[in-house]
Amino acid sequence: MNNNPLRVKRSVLILYLFPGVALFLGFVILPLLLSMRYSFFSWNGGAAMRFVGLGNYLELAKDPDFWNSFKNNIIVIVLCIIGQLGFALLLCGLFTSKLLKLKEFHRTVMFIPVVLSAIVVGFIWTLIYNKDLGILNMILKALHLQALIQPWLDDPKIVMFSVSAPLIWQYIGEYLIIFMAAVQSIDKSVLEVSEIDGCTGFNRLRYIIAPLISDTIKVAVMLCISGNMKVFDHIYVMTGGGPGNSSMVMAQYAYKTSFQQFKLGYGSTISVGILILSLTIIFISRKLGERKQA
Amino acid sequence: MKKVSSLVMALLLMVGIFSSPGFGQKAAPKVTLNFLHDQVEAVEGGAAVAFRQALDRVRKQNPNITIVEDSLTSQSLYTKVKTLAAGNELPELYVAKGDLLDMLISNKLIGAINKDINADPKWKSQFLPGVFTKITKNGKIYGIPCTSKSTSLIFYNQEIFKECGIAQFPKSWSELKTAVSKIKAKGYVPLALGNKEQWVAQSCILSTLADRYTGTDWFFKAKNRKGAKFTDPEFVKSLQALADLANMGAFNSDMNSLDNMQQRTIYYNKRAAMFIEGAWAIGDLQKDCPKDVLAATQLALIPAVEGGKGKPTAMSGGASVFFVMNNLKGAKRAAAIKVLKELSGPEFGAAMTEFNKFPAVKPGKYDASKVTPIAKQYNELVDKGSYVPVYDIQLSSSLIDVINSGLQQMLIGGITPKELAKRIQAEHEKEAL
Repeated sequence: MNNNPLRVKRSVLILYLFPGVALFLGFVILPLLLSMRYSFFSWNGGAAMRFVGLGNYLELAKDPDFWNSFKNNIIVIVLCIIGQLGFALLLCGLFTSKLLKLKEFHRTVMFIPVVLSAIVVGFIWTLIYNKDLGILNMILKALHLQALIQPWLDDPKIVMFSVSAPLIWQYIGEYLIIFMAAVQSIDKSVLEVSEIDGCTGFNRLRYIIAPLISDTIKVAVMLCISGNMKVFDHIYVMTGGGPGNSSMVMAQYAYKTSFQQFKLGYGSTISVGILILSLTIIFISRKLGERKQA
Repeated sequence: MKKVSSLVMALLLMVGIFSSPGFGQKAAPKVTLNFLHDQVEAVEGGAAVAFRQALDRVRKQNPNITIVEDSLTSQSLYTKVKTLAAGNELPELYVAKGDLLDMLISNKLIGAINKDINADPKWKSQFLPGVFTKITKNGKIYGIPCTSKSTSLIFYNQEIFKECGIAQFPKSWSELKTAVSKIKAKGYVPLALGNKEQWVAQSCILSTLADRYTGTDWFFKAKNRKGAKFTDPEFVKSLQALADLANMGAFNSDMNSLDNMQQRTIYYNKRAAMFIEGAWAIGDLQKDCPKDVLAATQLALIPAVEGGKGKPTAMSGGASVFFVMNNLKGAKRAAAIKVLKELSGPEFGAAMTEFNKFPAVKPGKYDASKVTPIAKQYNELVDKGSYVPVYDIQLSSSLIDVINSGLQQMLIGGITPKELAKRIQAEHEKEAL
């Protein structure tokens, strides 16, 4: 029909797309719809399902544990946006300047944690935080900062900071790579001219690089939010949501309700709640980003 | 022609009957039983061996029964059972515990076995008293217990006690407190606690400690909402006693980030004088504990409290994990009952005892020399004492969740015992709706 050799026939296109779309429908969309259905029932797993209408949602709206875990998610998101994106930007500035030697080596080192399993990271940091044997307290002791020594994962006041640190640490490398890629697409002459004009170091990052990759930063913020709305495994390994409920996040609350308390209906409601809140927050952050641009 | 063929048929039938095992009985039809269990050899050690031996006995005696095993570690097992239950695809036989049982019973996924037990008085008489409490509902028994054990034993290091000038294990709660301050003064952690997973404080300490104050009747009255409440002063007192212990620094300060395995490590390293855990720790102690600490280790129960209503020899415990079967009929049912009988028979009991495990049945003849000193001490405590309910076996999982996370908060001074009692009662009332 057409002579363009790069143009694929419609039927071939559909054939190629089919497996991916089918898998996506089967493993993402269908469970999501099922979960929405379950969220209207009081159900503990067996044959007996009781329809409760919007009852679960009303309960969710005034469930202090759910809102507490939502607050914790927000804390993680804020800390991660500041920590991960901030550090990644600073490092990105450093990597693109002439100050840093052995760039390849540093880049690899920064990226290694990204590929580690969350469970491994959780365990490592549990050991780091250990009161008697942990390296963190040992370093503090060596620096004669005994006053700072504490059980890092046992104090509800600081536990959210303690569990966020490994998350931040692990994914700096990922954002670094994203930012570096963006910087590489900036015209070299722009950077050279700025250097001739005396704009170097932090100023170069502040006035040249950051504005030029602002779209990438926006995408990174979105990734950071969506990733941290469903954060689960690190915290589960380190504290299991404790002490009490002080480091509980939404995904873990959904898991705990569904599979420990065995309220599958209400657990589904929580999951749908997470979905709604995530979409809302991403929507808000996009609006904020657009306004800045205007 | 017809006559001949029917004669041949009759002959063939006769041959079939006479050659079948158990001459004179009906020919046993071939039966396949799927058995989903948690007796993974590497994890369960001796118990898994005893379990396998029992299944092999069934296989040998009944060639017509094929048992297909599917074994998983407990945690994944329960997830699988829940998932299978949701899809109504449970195997013929499986292992279930605690909150799962209520769900299975209320959804009619498991069948009562009263008739089978009552039909065999010898089988019935083998079980230890009280092991059916959890699996009985409205007088119907739905399964047989795998093991029975106490969940609250104090393991203490005699040498450290001597070093701190304590000649004898405290007989009362106030004596225990005195001992705790003496041990603390010497720089040891008095009581190692690893409550990260939240059940330890509740299952191993509170279940018994609360019974010391409230007595067992109160518990069932509260559970069944018959005149007792979790806000009653006697229950609040028990929470207060635990909070006081935490306030005086009896536990290690990182108790909420260590798990129950790590709580033992502090003890093994001679940094702690005591830890409180269930009988399951005995096997691990035997394996992992350094020889000198093991030699100095003694068992005790949570001491009596002043003015308490509970018996000081009682300990929380009983059977918590059960073998259950689907609503089976006919040959499959008969075969499943055979398997259940073997798994609660005297040979199984004897093998378990020799492996230093704790069966729910009276063991047959066993070799006493194979039982370790600590297991012996434990068996004596069980003989003298009695079991009282373990909270997380008896109460619903959402109520337990409130108790567990609340205790964790209370132990670090996050909430007062009174507030916790109120929260527990509020959740309990919510469930009644």
